[in-house]
Amino acid sequence: MSGQSTSVENGVLSARRHRSVSPVAEDLTAKQRWTRRLLPPGILVICLVIPMLGPVIGSYTYWLQILTTVFMWVALASSWNIIGGFTGYVSLGHNVFMAIGGYLSAGIFVYYGVSPFITAIGAGLVCVAVGLVVGLIMLRTDGDAFIIATIALLLIARILFDNWTLLGGSNGLSLPLLSFADPDLIPVPFYYAMLVCAVGAVLLGYWVRHSKFGLGLRAIAEDEVRAEVAGVNTRLLKVAAFGVSGFFTGIVGAMWGYSLSYVRPENFLTITIAAQIVLMAVIGGKGTVLGPIVGAVLIVAFNEAAVSKFGSSELNLAVTGVFLVVALLFFPQGIVGTLRERRRLPRALDWG
Amino acid sequence: MTDIVQLLILGILLGGVYGVMATGLTLVYGVMGVVNLAHAVVMVAAAYMAFFMWQDWGVDPFVSMIATIPVFFAVGMGLYYVFFQRIAGSARFGEMTVLLSFGLALVIEGVLGFAFTGIYHTANPGYATKTFDIGSVIVPKGQLYAFVASVVLLAALGAILYFTRVGYAIRATMQNATAAQIVGVNVNRVSAVAFGIGTAMAGAAGSLMSYLFTFFPGAHWQFIALLLALTVVGGLGSLRGALVGAIGLSVAAAFVTDLAGPNWSYLTFYLALFVVLLVRPQGLFGRKVSV
Repeated sequence: MSGQSTSVENGVLSARRHRSVSPVAEDLTAKQRWTRRLLPPGILVICLVIPMLGPVIGSYTYWLQILTTVFMWVALASSWNIIGGFTGYVSLGHNVFMAIGGYLSAGIFVYYGVSPFITAIGAGLVCVAVGLVVGLIMLRTDGDAFIIATIALLLIARILFDNWTLLGGSNGLSLPLLSFADPDLIPVPFYYAMLVCAVGAVLLGYWVRHSKFGLGLRAIAEDEVRAEVAGVNTRLLKVAAFGVSGFFTGIVGAMWGYSLSYVRPENFLTITIAAQIVLMAVIGGKGTVLGPIVGAVLIVAFNEAAVSKFGSSELNLAVTGVFLVVALLFFPQGIVGTLRERRRLPRALDWG
Repeated sequence: MTDIVQLLILGILLGGVYGVMATGLTLVYGVMGVVNLAHAVVMVAAAYMAFFMWQDWGVDPFVSMIATIPVFFAVGMGLYYVFFQRIAGSARFGEMTVLLSFGLALVIEGVLGFAFTGIYHTANPGYATKTFDIGSVIVPKGQLYAFVASVVLLAALGAILYFTRVGYAIRATMQNATAAQIVGVNVNRVSAVAFGIGTAMAGAAGSLMSYLFTFFPGAHWQFIALLLALTVVGGLGSLRGALVGAIGLSVAAAFVTDLAGPNWSYLTFYLALFVVLLVRPQGLFGRKVSV
């Protein structure tokens, strides 16, 4: 927001800078406008078609799995970004929403036989409700106190789920697998479900970024006191952001639990998952719409490459940490934020 | 009645050890406003060091403090100069420190896990499993020794803070860093020393931890959560508060364990943390948690 601070001294400079921060359609050349308009739908169409290419691509299931994972993390990081990026309230306990969504859908499936594909949206809505209630309590704190509170939330949730006998305690619940005549088709519904989550979460992020709601959130991130003075209902907005960010997180949790065919506390409620979400958003660029996508793709690709090359080892955790530290020290704005600041971000990709 | 005495004793003995762990954390926060999430993983690293000194050379965990304290003092100074000094004065400093130390914690945990695997370790000096029986009250020897060592360590820390020039400088910086700078305190160096001392306390605590607890690389998350609870309840940045929080919560957890079982004892800490953050974010003795 350096553009705004110079606006008093130099209107022209400020106007130019401001344009580079959020390009409006009129500033783009015809070619750029078309790229911008066609690129996202193009990628989407490719993603939609991929599962039908089974006979064409070798190691088809593997790629489907990886893309499903990418979509999952895109959805998680984009959802986190609403509270952690736009609002500036870093949550290290966001996977609690995943666990609630996962357990809710799994529990209904096990006890009442309704498929998670049907209950997932309900799980998302429950997560929004939980987010609003918990947010109302937790967002009394701010800054580092909020982060600590979210860690406490995560650990409390872990203890509760570990000891909740109805939900299987630390052994969790086992879910029956999907049954298809062709077992190769089993990953396909999950692929589309995660794709929907990812697209939905990104669109939600885009909408938040460009709405009045999002403007209020960014005002809070800039300077909460000033936002309050300017008439922004900071508390309402923060709580709303926390709740909204739970929606797709909960749905992803429901889908993920089903695709694993079991839900266990250790699959949802570890600090590592929280770390991954934060890492992706921070590396990609928190507070940008594109950032979480970039971060998720890079980190999943890296993890995959590292695991296939060196096997799954504790060093992956260390490398995750190194990435986080390096990103924070040298480009706290993340890849997208830094590129934009240096005006190297292609305009077709500058979604705000 | 003896039950209550027994629980009180167990709570207080463990509380002393928690006190050593927590004062390091709160000292670093008090001086520089760094919420150091890597504090507990450093402790686990020290516990590995003490464990291998015990296993390979037969060095008693208490003696190993001679090594862990200076080594981790140096580690702390190093961490400060390499990482935390860089982000001083950056926007959203509190959050930056949490995320940065979070990243460091992941790195150290990963390296420890790679080097020593996830197997549970614990040193087993003779006194670890022995007890003093006073009537029907049982006092575990290992915990009693650890408590005594903790008192000594805390007294030493107090002596440094209250009777040396560095100590004056540290306390001045804790009170008001800008004012301290104005009257000629080299805040940067004092911060480094405070970080060193805080981490050295973690090193000493690691020596105790090596035989008091079974530990593994991922164990530190539980400890850091516990320590945050203790320090936040007492008031982040307040040394007195950390001690009161440590002993108070440790006793409370002993009673919860007795009433509801060990599964729930950690819940005491987290709930206390939660409630205090919401009701009195500055803690019982603290000034203010966040800026």
